[in-house]
Amino acid sequence: MPGAGAEEGRPAGRRVVITGLGAISPIGVGTEAFMAGLRAGRSGAKPVSAFGTDGYEHVVACEVVNFDPARWLVNLDPAELGRASQFSAAAARMAFDDAGLTAAGLRGRHGLIAIGTTYGESRDFDHLVEQEVTQGPHRMDPAITRRVNASRLSVTIAHELGLTDVEAVTIPTACAAGNYAIGYGFDAIRSGEADFALGGGADALCRMSFAAFYRLGAMAPERCQPFDKDRRGTLTGEGAGVLVLEDSESARARGARVYAEVLGYGLNCDADHPVAPNPNSVARCMELALRDAKIKPDEVDFISAHGTATKANDVAEASAIRQVFGDAPPRTVSMKSMLGHTFGAAGALGAIGCVLAMTGGFIPPTINHVETDPECDLDCVPNEAIEADVRVVQNNALAFGGNNAILILGHPGEQR
Amino acid sequence: MIGASPVVGPPREDAAAPREDAAAPRDSAAAPRDSAVRTVISAWSAVSPFGLQSADFATGLRERRGGAALNRDRGPAPVEAAWLVPGFDAREVLGRKGTRSMDRVTALAVAATEQLLRGPGGERIDGVGNDTALVLGTNISSAQSIMDFTRDTFVQDKPYFVDPARFPNVVLNCAAARCAIWHRLQGPNATISGGRASGLLALSYARRLQRSGRAGPVLCGAAEEFSVARAWLQTLSEPDLPTSAILSEGCAMVLLEPAGRPAGHLRTALAELLALEFGVYRALTGVQPALADCLDRAFAAAHESPARLWAVISSGGPNLPGVAEDAALTEILGDRVPVRHRATDLVGDVGAASASFGLTAVLALAAQEPAAHGRTALLTAVDRDGVVGCGLLRLICGAGEQPS
Repeated sequence: MPGAGAEEGRPAGRRVVITGLGAISPIGVGTEAFMAGLRAGRSGAKPVSAFGTDGYEHVVACEVVNFDPARWLVNLDPAELGRASQFSAAAARMAFDDAGLTAAGLRGRHGLIAIGTTYGESRDFDHLVEQEVTQGPHRMDPAITRRVNASRLSVTIAHELGLTDVEAVTIPTACAAGNYAIGYGFDAIRSGEADFALGGGADALCRMSFAAFYRLGAMAPERCQPFDKDRRGTLTGEGAGVLVLEDSESARARGARVYAEVLGYGLNCDADHPVAPNPNSVARCMELALRDAKIKPDEVDFISAHGTATKANDVAEASAIRQVFGDAPPRTVSMKSMLGHTFGAAGALGAIGCVLAMTGGFIPPTINHVETDPECDLDCVPNEAIEADVRVVQNNALAFGGNNAILILGHPGEQR
Repeated sequence: MIGASPVVGPPREDAAAPREDAAAPRDSAAAPRDSAVRTVISAWSAVSPFGLQSADFATGLRERRGGAALNRDRGPAPVEAAWLVPGFDAREVLGRKGTRSMDRVTALAVAATEQLLRGPGGERIDGVGNDTALVLGTNISSAQSIMDFTRDTFVQDKPYFVDPARFPNVVLNCAAARCAIWHRLQGPNATISGGRASGLLALSYARRLQRSGRAGPVLCGAAEEFSVARAWLQTLSEPDLPTSAILSEGCAMVLLEPAGRPAGHLRTALAELLALEFGVYRALTGVQPALADCLDRAFAAAHESPARLWAVISSGGPNLPGVAEDAALTEILGDRVPVRHRATDLVGDVGAASASFGLTAVLALAAQEPAAHGRTALLTAVDRDGVVGCGLLRLICGAGEQPS
């Protein structure tokens, strides 16, 4: 049983389109570089430079390198921001400019800024705790203590873009947070409560998640191999993805380029296990998403999987896909093979990847693939992108705590 | 509209009578921002420095008692005093099963959710099934959990000698997710962060879940724990705070239901959520215009006038944004509102839970005051990082005896 209201169907509302993209990823900073990386099947894996790694046997992560926030930020001093806020503000600036929006042009229009995250400004906590351990708690840097609240990831965007008539909210629903945030923007615009939204997610590499995945045996030594029979876990990653959403009529009226349409999404909670996904519940979330989008399973051209390459995730997710799509499911790819697990950014970078696939007419590959796990048995588009006419995509995001959010995106040229 | 107290469930003696079913789908191609599902508050709970039970909170407010003093055994804190939930220990309050690695903020949220979901006989209340949604506000969940876990990467023999059982605590959705697991709540489960405005932003998220047809009933609130780590972060980040700014903790929650929902129960509404509005400021001089704008929009959306306000509760941070919040409210509303409080004065500095405690406080106070019936209450929040928000409620008293 879904929510009581869901049984009655969602009230009809405005159509919501995507008109701007901003991506900061381990395989490229900026949408063009990100798209080129997806098409080429580039790997973001490299030795960690974010923090000291003495004591680890293997030290590979998907770090964002060559990122200069000052190149993107117009109104903010990067030195005053934590790394996750630098990512979110820079990605939002990219998306806002890409959409051709200006603060002056949006005067009188109400907006929503929703940014998902798993750890917030956890990189700042690396520094604070190091100071605490070496010098005592009273010597922690006050400037850093002032910027650790997760709310900064969204409100900083309003400051950077000069927006005041906005509801700025951070949605820290872990690894599904990017999809939650995009879905929230969709609901606010669809109902007419907001005229535009910036939705996405951000996270920075930190000691905490690296140590945890390593300790849990959920981290691969060198490469991330989703759906492979010899997969050895995920790689931790970082970055941000932000999308500009607006209602289709006002986008058309201002002559905006429309990348894609948000058709709908689904949310539910396993309420079962803190870290292991429940396939029946994940399948239920897919059904909620497809029904919300008014899309039949056979209309989905490919699935962008959560695909962490952990033993637990990939089998559960593949099983859920079979429950919903039957024995011949659509191609199912994991961009995490290239990006690692970018946590709060994962859903958003996945969504941007789906949009770029529609725009560019290709399906991104699952790289590092040798032999598909028979327990998964999916066509994961091994190693090389394929050309394809993509009309409808499903973007999965499954979080710690069983927080599932699944997004359905459509090609803008489609009559619906 | 005054006096048309929304009943959450249909009247038993006249269950088939026509009524406005606001949850029904409607063609809203150009839906105005104030339309759609009407959301009512039909129950509340609070685990607070006044005590473990919601009734303790109501009594504590009435008697204006202080909370328990800081337990110095908890470690060298940089504050002289704090308000702690008396006797709160996860294993004692929730039992030994499933609490071994549970951190304090999570336990506070699980306990407040437990109270909200249980009737007098300990049974799950009617009309709140396993498809119920949960929305919880937080700053960074537990600063203590994050710092303890990170510290192990520096001080243990190997940087990965961390406690895997405590890993879920460092993920910011820990408390909401554990509440769902504890109570088998499989509806949408969301964590919302906006500093002192978290509780209002959570209400907004919950209301959109209902308006978009994604949820019926929603459990909605916010939680904050006292910890030595939080005390250090607060002391270092805001060194100019007056010593009266006592750090506090707790979790305050409400049950939100769509008005007129055919739920087959007889819970009556305690209040109707009329409007929620938000803005952002950057410099302190921006607080007043941002708040004034939120209030204008809220009153306009609700077709209400400030003259009908019975209560105003501000988030009341003891810092400069909080001072600006109070000054702005006085400038905008004057001093004619009968009941005027700062949440921090009532329950101490509960951080991310400020606005949620403001909400449960207004419900508890109104339940004891017949004159509040049909009048409105305003909640405001101004966070230091830039979020400004307000919520406007219509109070429905008489029905609102405090939870037991």
